[in-house]
Amino acid sequence: MRVLLVGLSHRTAPLEVRERFAVAEPGPLLQKLVATDEIDEAVLVSTCNRVEVVVLTRRLDAARLRLRSVFRHELGGDDLPASAGGRRLEEMLYELHDAGAMTHVLRVASSIDSMVVGEPQILGQMKDAYHAAREAGACGAILTRLFHCAFATARRVRRETKIAQRPVSVARVAVGLARQIFEDLSQKSVLLVGAGEMIEIALEALHQDGLAAVRVANRTRAHAMELAERFDATAHGLDEIPALLARSDMVLSCIGGDTPVITAALVRTALRERSTPLFVIDIGVPRNVDPAVNDLDGVYLYDLDDLTEAAASNAEERRRETIRAEAIVLEEQQRFDGWLAALGAVPTIRDLKGRAEQIRAAEVEKAVGRLGLDPAQRDGVDALTRAIVNKLLHAPVSRLRGQADREEGFARLEVVRALFGLDDRPTDDDE
Amino acid sequence: MTTELLLVAAGLYLAAGLASWMGIALESARSLRAAVVMLAAGAAAHAGAFVGLHLAPRPPPLTDLPAAVSLMALIAVLFVLVLLRRARLAALVALVAPASFVGTFFAALRLPHSEAVPLVGAASSWPHLHILLASTGLALLGVAGVAGCLFLVVDRGLKRHRRVRPRWPSLEALDRVNRVALTAGFLLLTLGVVTGVLWVESESDRIWTGTAHETWSVLAWMVYAALVTARFAGRQRGRRAAVAAIAGFAFLFFAVIGVSLLA
Repeated sequence: MRVLLVGLSHRTAPLEVRERFAVAEPGPLLQKLVATDEIDEAVLVSTCNRVEVVVLTRRLDAARLRLRSVFRHELGGDDLPASAGGRRLEEMLYELHDAGAMTHVLRVASSIDSMVVGEPQILGQMKDAYHAAREAGACGAILTRLFHCAFATARRVRRETKIAQRPVSVARVAVGLARQIFEDLSQKSVLLVGAGEMIEIALEALHQDGLAAVRVANRTRAHAMELAERFDATAHGLDEIPALLARSDMVLSCIGGDTPVITAALVRTALRERSTPLFVIDIGVPRNVDPAVNDLDGVYLYDLDDLTEAAASNAEERRRETIRAEAIVLEEQQRFDGWLAALGAVPTIRDLKGRAEQIRAAEVEKAVGRLGLDPAQRDGVDALTRAIVNKLLHAPVSRLRGQADREEGFARLEVVRALFGLDDRPTDDDE
Repeated sequence: MTTELLLVAAGLYLAAGLASWMGIALESARSLRAAVVMLAAGAAAHAGAFVGLHLAPRPPPLTDLPAAVSLMALIAVLFVLVLLRRARLAALVALVAPASFVGTFFAALRLPHSEAVPLVGAASSWPHLHILLASTGLALLGVAGVAGCLFLVVDRGLKRHRRVRPRWPSLEALDRVNRVALTAGFLLLTLGVVTGVLWVESESDRIWTGTAHETWSVLAWMVYAALVTARFAGRQRGRRAAVAAIAGFAFLFFAVIGVSLLA
């Protein structure tokens, strides 16, 4: 049994190509694949960053051709968009088998291979892919075990490393800082200065934790109202900022203009009317908030550079954590491989025991006829020979069942089959 | 048995402190949870020791310094355990647990007293009440000081745009601990001073005998009265409130414990 993986991902193909190959309903395709002679089990993982098919096969070359044909004819095709830069599909597809394929599945589930290392969505997407394959009847015992191993590995990686602990987007960094200042964000109010796209992205991140009140102040009140309607907020003009500052716990600013919209004097005045900290996020370029604001007691100002630097530092930390994550993946992959190798040894063990029993029974029969043994003596000889055969076979059978790595496991099986002539036709002597 | 229980409590406090620092350094929630569990176990052993001590045929007086320090440590730990149920303040254990370890270990080395020590309440119940109230006030004001220390660490990190360890408590929670502990602590300290005056009066028919302990205690009370006024009437908050809580507790600690040790 061989595990084969064919696919393309953010590492090999641009988004325009990946989205062409995305599969919303993998069931019919998987059923078609397992109906072929060369594929026994199949799972299709389709996310915005990758489209990969994992199969279990007895005929590796045939399965490889079949999967490439699926990508070419049944998914996106070979007619790639201009963004592919003239590259052909063949150049974007990668192929992994056996240990390489298993490791890849475990790495993907653990989010080591993700565009944003440590992102949590991939595990859910892998689970969805696995369940879709199960429902389609395309996922049997071995891929089930592989995917469960992948899920367990991902959980271990999350538990034992810091791969997913630190935020790597500017918006999530800002939320993390807000949590260092405030105990419960759902009780806090935010003042948005500006109504552009950046404000919206940052607000969405803040809104995930819930906010007590959102106020949008903008030069053009109509734009403020547009954003306010979407987030159940109130719209204001820039002239209302002094009053709004006193009533807000967080300020998020990204508005055009050459001079700061929020000055230190303005914040100092607002502080007289409040007793709680004020967190100011200035993502405007040029900056909207006077840097001197950070010197005021109880006010914490972060600009775009501060947030970007923190995000980059966290991303670097995550990358460092992947070394520990890779070690966990390798350990789990070897465990799974050992299980698979042991599974592959079952027919050989059965044949070996059958062969030994056949020889033992034939020799006992001959001896009984030659020596003229009574039933009690015959039982004694029978038990004696059975014990000898069992003891002789104990060590080789244990070795075959052992958690050997895949290559070694296959080599052992070949040697045993050749040494004991398990693939030879029975001769007259055996009869 | 009492001494053994006190040693167990001290050991658990020390382990809780170490686990808490480990949790902060490694950013491990599990270590911080373990620290809280060990702190609670330490408090249980400590309370057991206290009960055992006062059920003894000749219990040591609460007015004795080791007994008062031990009581303060226990109350500080219990107060922190109550706070932990309200907010993510597990990092408080990193400072409170080692301080409680020192207090409890000191008490374990000195308690129980020899039979020559007079029984508590032989003269009146004021000494008992005075120590109980003043120690509780001192413990709470100590927690306010600890929260102030942590506030300054987090505030400094945020102001300088350094990475703040995610397991530190939020500034808002620390400021709230400061406010609650300061309010309750000052109230209890005031009652402690009043019962102290009544104790002195019951023994000497005077409300003021002019001992160093009395003078420094009243001075400390006046300092705290000023701090509380600044905090609530002057809307003092954040960094200034944290510095005030630390300075106030340092003065109080010297006034109550330092002066007693030097006397």
